[in-house]
Amino acid sequence: MKTILLAGTILMSVAGVSAARDIVIAQSSDLRSSNPGVNRDGNTDGVILHIVEGLVGYANNGEVKPLLAQSFDMSSDGQTYTFKLRPDVKFHNGKTLTADDVVWNWNRYLDPATKWTCLKDFDGSATLKVTGIKAVDTTTVSMTLDKPSAVFLGLMSRPECGYTGMISPDSIAADGTFDKPIGTGPFKWDEWKKGEYIHLSKFDQYVSPTNDGKPDGMVGSKRPLVDGIKFMVIPDASTVKAGLQSGVLDTAEISPDLIPEFEKSETAQVIISQNNGKNLFYIQTRDPVMAKPGLRRAIAMALDLDELVAAASNGTGKANGSMVSSDSLYFSETQQTRLPYDLEAAKKELADSGYKGEPISIIANKRGNVPSFPAAVIAQAMLQQIGLNVQIEVLDYATQVDRRRSGNYQIISQSVAPRLDPALMYSFYVGDKDKNASLMWDSPKAIELMKAAYAEIDTAKRQAIFDEFHELMLQEMPGIFLYDMIDVWGASKSLKGQPVWQSNARLWEVSLDK
Amino acid sequence: MIRFILNRLLMALPTVVIVSITVFALIRFIPGDPAALMLGDMATPDQVAGMRTELGLDKSMPEQFLVWSGNVLTGDFGRSIVNDEPVLPLVVSRFMVSAEIVIIAVVLASLIAVPAGMIAAWRQNSWTDLVLVGTATVLLSIPTFWLGLLLLLFFGLKLGWLPVLGYVSIGDNVVGGLLYLVLPIMTLVIHEAGVLIRMARASTLEVLRLDYITHARAKGLSESAVLWKHAFKNAFGPTWTMIGLILGNLLGGIAVIETVFTIPGLGRLMVDSIFQRDYPVIQGCLLFVALSYVVVNLIVDLLYPLFDPRVVAE
Repeated sequence: MKTILLAGTILMSVAGVSAARDIVIAQSSDLRSSNPGVNRDGNTDGVILHIVEGLVGYANNGEVKPLLAQSFDMSSDGQTYTFKLRPDVKFHNGKTLTADDVVWNWNRYLDPATKWTCLKDFDGSATLKVTGIKAVDTTTVSMTLDKPSAVFLGLMSRPECGYTGMISPDSIAADGTFDKPIGTGPFKWDEWKKGEYIHLSKFDQYVSPTNDGKPDGMVGSKRPLVDGIKFMVIPDASTVKAGLQSGVLDTAEISPDLIPEFEKSETAQVIISQNNGKNLFYIQTRDPVMAKPGLRRAIAMALDLDELVAAASNGTGKANGSMVSSDSLYFSETQQTRLPYDLEAAKKELADSGYKGEPISIIANKRGNVPSFPAAVIAQAMLQQIGLNVQIEVLDYATQVDRRRSGNYQIISQSVAPRLDPALMYSFYVGDKDKNASLMWDSPKAIELMKAAYAEIDTAKRQAIFDEFHELMLQEMPGIFLYDMIDVWGASKSLKGQPVWQSNARLWEVSLDK
Repeated sequence: MIRFILNRLLMALPTVVIVSITVFALIRFIPGDPAALMLGDMATPDQVAGMRTELGLDKSMPEQFLVWSGNVLTGDFGRSIVNDEPVLPLVVSRFMVSAEIVIIAVVLASLIAVPAGMIAAWRQNSWTDLVLVGTATVLLSIPTFWLGLLLLLFFGLKLGWLPVLGYVSIGDNVVGGLLYLVLPIMTLVIHEAGVLIRMARASTLEVLRLDYITHARAKGLSESAVLWKHAFKNAFGPTWTMIGLILGNLLGGIAVIETVFTIPGLGRLMVDSIFQRDYPVIQGCLLFVALSYVVVNLIVDLLYPLFDPRVVAE
């Protein structure tokens, strides 16, 4: 038997199956494209995060801080931003980042031919328009807007925009097509075996932005501490679990129900991290049954939110009834208020609303990494206590998206990806339903407050806007916010550091024990 | 012979056309808009509409079908909605990965199952027969994903002999590549051997009851000569047909195995594409699977006369 074991082990080593000192991480789907902010999804954003950097980036608390910029200034009218670049920034091809590169990148992003996902946010078709970009000198860039905006810097830092990452013009092939991302991040593009893995290697010349020795969102200390990162495409959760237990994988997202097993494991550990995404019940306020605010408030008061969240999140989440994330700098005392859990008051509101036992359907999906289905099941049981006739309709994710976009639903148990500025979070839910049926809330006052939050630059005034918005939401209850999303990741015991941030892998300042 | 091949290929044409139309229509009846999935949460209705126009999804279904089938006739299977890759090279490269596993697995399963089935028939109603038939029934009853996970846990996790996930092409690293293939192949061999043992046993039993076998025994031939020299050729015919069907079926249908063992094969591509509503890739995969089914069965029919000369290709 010993001989057989030895032979097996030798065979494995001969085959070179054991990897070098790369962090090996699983992701559920392949990269969409390596072109930052163009044809992307969450997994693509996670890979791109390590390769490119924008002028600014989000810190943990949602504040936007300099990244490739050493500093930035805003003019008194709020319409001109001046970015001073860090002098020590090099692209992965060894060339130094200059103001001309920034101008080239922004012109490329704003060219419709690039098909940048975020073009509408900067070309005037949504809220603001970038009217000018110019290199003042080799390390200074100025950008002008058509009007002041509180979210200009936040918008350009978004994952969906590819972080508005600066790439070297050499990233474009001679025929004008995109070749590969030559960025400035701590890891550089190495190899993409489609359907199998993406490999990034350490960028030896990387210099972190100013920091206090710790990673802080997209800024802070960003040292690459391993030789490389291998993102393996593994769609099956059982295989991911086996990979983590065997040590083939160093880290990956796992289902929350594996927490007890991983906590007991001698070889693996659990990493739990809150992010700014939202788990909520998205309500169709134009549905004949759901149109009455009293009924929606009754639903909210019939839910024991603390119990629901504890069960749906396997004890990892904390109830938060606000659209503002609990680790945001705008999470004030007002944001912490929510309707009380009060069955008698709920029954009274229900009776006043004229509800007569009409069926109410909650749409849910069974994707393993979101609490859509468990939250719906627990809510169904709680809502039956006040006499609501609740059914659950389980759909696949693509169909659920279709139903939400067409407005054809009553309640959807939904998770929404992180947006670090509250105003950007509002924009997912609030607006004119006649123009965009996927929106949740079309109260004129809410729309007005959202627009004000987009424009207002002063932090204290923004706080007042967000608080007023929250109070209005508690009155009209267009949706019921349950808790901020939780990232539950497994990792080998040898992994040191925090490998996840805002649902994306973030593998700088992460190391492996020898 | 050439006329036979041409006839068979012409006969396959309606099958391929029906498959194409059915797949094309069915995937579009499933709710879920590829443009909306592609653009994600932040897309406005205008952007989604623009993307639908760009992808040609705003046209009527017959119009879309005519455009697609016209392009297919010129060898253009379109481009993936998800990553803009040309579909045909994508499908072919993934098919090669699946074919590598399936062909090895079916050959191994046949080498094990055919003799085992014949021995079971030869020893009908004995303990050997009972054990072989019982084992075969158990093997074919085990779901492949569960068997795959068990093998993965035992050989990968408990013993640590074989890699639990990943894939290395044999072209890149022969030993490494083979190691990654052991578990998926073993899973398929175990399952398919169960099916083939029962088939080989049944067809051998039928042949052993025929007069010419009694005659051979009466001539004083040894049992092994009777079995291998006289019974085998006739008994193998139906099993050979079954092997062809299994091969055709597996070439496009090992998505579960590929998902469990993280193998970038055709089945996984197809399943991923369905979730992403990547219409051109789904259509390309299924058309390719239908064609491979036709070709495999044609090859099986052409080789049939080797085992049973009474069957002539013409």
